[in-house]
Amino acid sequence: MRIPDRRFALYLMTPAALFLAVFVAYPLFRLVTDSFFKISPIVGGPRDFVGLDNYVRAFTSEAFMGAGWRTLAYTLMVVTLEFTLGLGMALLFTTLGRKSQVWRTVFLYPLMIAPIVAGLLWKFLMIDNFGLLGTLLSQAGILQDPNQIGWLSNPDIVLFSVAVPDIWLTTSFMCLVLFAGLQNIPGDLIEAARLDGARAPSLLFRIILPLLRPVIAVALVVRGIDAARAFDTILIQTNGGPQSASETMSLLIYRTMIRFGDPGLASAMGTIYLLAMLTIAFVAVTTIWRPGKDT
Amino acid sequence: MSTAQTPDDGGMLAAAVPNRPRQAGIAYSNAPAPHQTESTMPSRTAPAPQTTTEPASAGGGRRRRGVNREGLEAGKRSTRTILWVLLAAALVLYGFPFLYLLFTSFKTPIDTIAVPPTILPKEWTLDNYINALGRNGVPASFINSIQTAVISTLLSLVLAVPAAYGITRYKTASGRVFIMAALVTRMVPPVAIGIPLASMMASVGLADTPIALSIAHTTISLPLSIWLMSSFFEAVPQDLEEAATVDGCSRLGALWRVVIPVVSGGIAVTAIFAFLASWNEFLFALLMTAVRSQTTPVVIANFQTQFGLDWGSMTALAAVYSIPVILLTLLLQRKIVAGMTLGAVKG
Repeated sequence: MRIPDRRFALYLMTPAALFLAVFVAYPLFRLVTDSFFKISPIVGGPRDFVGLDNYVRAFTSEAFMGAGWRTLAYTLMVVTLEFTLGLGMALLFTTLGRKSQVWRTVFLYPLMIAPIVAGLLWKFLMIDNFGLLGTLLSQAGILQDPNQIGWLSNPDIVLFSVAVPDIWLTTSFMCLVLFAGLQNIPGDLIEAARLDGARAPSLLFRIILPLLRPVIAVALVVRGIDAARAFDTILIQTNGGPQSASETMSLLIYRTMIRFGDPGLASAMGTIYLLAMLTIAFVAVTTIWRPGKDT
Repeated sequence: MSTAQTPDDGGMLAAAVPNRPRQAGIAYSNAPAPHQTESTMPSRTAPAPQTTTEPASAGGGRRRRGVNREGLEAGKRSTRTILWVLLAAALVLYGFPFLYLLFTSFKTPIDTIAVPPTILPKEWTLDNYINALGRNGVPASFINSIQTAVISTLLSLVLAVPAAYGITRYKTASGRVFIMAALVTRMVPPVAIGIPLASMMASVGLADTPIALSIAHTTISLPLSIWLMSSFFEAVPQDLEEAATVDGCSRLGALWRVVIPVVSGGIAVTAIFAFLASWNEFLFALLMTAVRSQTTPVVIANFQTQFGLDWGSMTALAAVYSIPVILLTLLLQRKIVAGMTLGAVKG
């Protein structure tokens, strides 16, 4: 007997759905449950129900609120810089046309590098004393002393420094997506505007950017989610230091769990973090992205 | 994670093949046909860099629907020269960090931390490579990385291909709910589920095994794979299976014998992304492995603490780990580009 199409479709989806339920939904459920308990880090240790105590501790802790703001600042910085640089490169490749094709491929290479390697590499470039960046800048006469900027040791700028590898890794992605979007802008439109006497800036701001809006929205949302979860690059560069100045949410949760052995508190932080991400992503998707409405 | 980026980078994106800019229109449908190579395309720009010979780009006299080169491509020779210089500068800046990593890996230990540092090694040596690869646990970590990435890729494909087919071919309400749920999964920070996942694995006796880690990696790559595969299936005309079922094929038979071969290009793209997501992943690997199943990213990170500051070996190992995937990118760039931009343009 032939099973109806609808059930057949359901059967096809079941294995993947089960997998996500067991290995994503269930751990999330465990995370949320754990957040209401005070848990000893020792395996099989005591587990006491403490209600909302962990949440109160999270919200009243300076580290948590600080990490929240730093994560936000980090995400905005990474996404803004990536977008600006990526758009610049995409426009460059578009205006140069097909001759630049080979270089477009070369430009992709950082996308394949492990974030951990990128973090390591930039740490090596920015580290005090034998870091190349300071040396090159001082040889170029921009800095007086190679160690004038303590890229990774000055708490005021370290959040920017740890963002550099992330930007380096994924500007290519931004460029790629925006470039693809640029290819779909009808040439007629640009020419008509040119004939009407539009100059480059008004072409960019009045025609290109509005037409790219759906693409830009997707790219920003996707990258925003990724940047807000940044972990590898920061861990290897500074481990959150100096003085927690580069400690973002993922790092704080990791350290609370592993270093300070407080899984209950870490779970509460993780739950808040997840809810905040979902809320922001939902708002972003419904207001900026609006799937299906702009095309 | 900023993975490929990575790929992790990857993204819930779906459509355009920027490699074939001349064939504008719905570039998306070109994605599953990556075998069509650049060289087969008519080269209309034949008269070399001086595009000024093309009246269209200079003044905009010629119009061709859907082809935007005439629209955005710079016409004047002087402008183009400036733009090429800009591009060269950007590429040098962008490419330099990795070159420096390579140069450093050939330096002697003293040169590596010399003040002031030099760009090129004073003396080229392979010592760092010998040290790094000969170190206890390093060769094993490569095997673990490959094992984990392969298992995770297969698992992703086996689960994602039927699911994506069910979603796109039958368009049921449950399918729509499911694809949204898969998207939400992408927002879950790995740090939030890593510990519960690790303890689940431990309770079924899978602690510190490549299987456990590849399952964890599949939680990252599965939503991405479902999203990518859905876009590829979307491009397959339904007549194809209908013809097959009329000829007496069952629905599963039609999927296996008719549809799968058509989307094999798309499956390859998905496999690349799933593989890279696992290859470059660090956080799950850090939380879920101890000694036996440690992958190379964790070993690279451990160099820093365990062996003091052995920058030379670290850069050598990082180079050995990255170069295969960079070469892979260059070889398969058309597929990677297709996957990376898939859908973003569709919105």
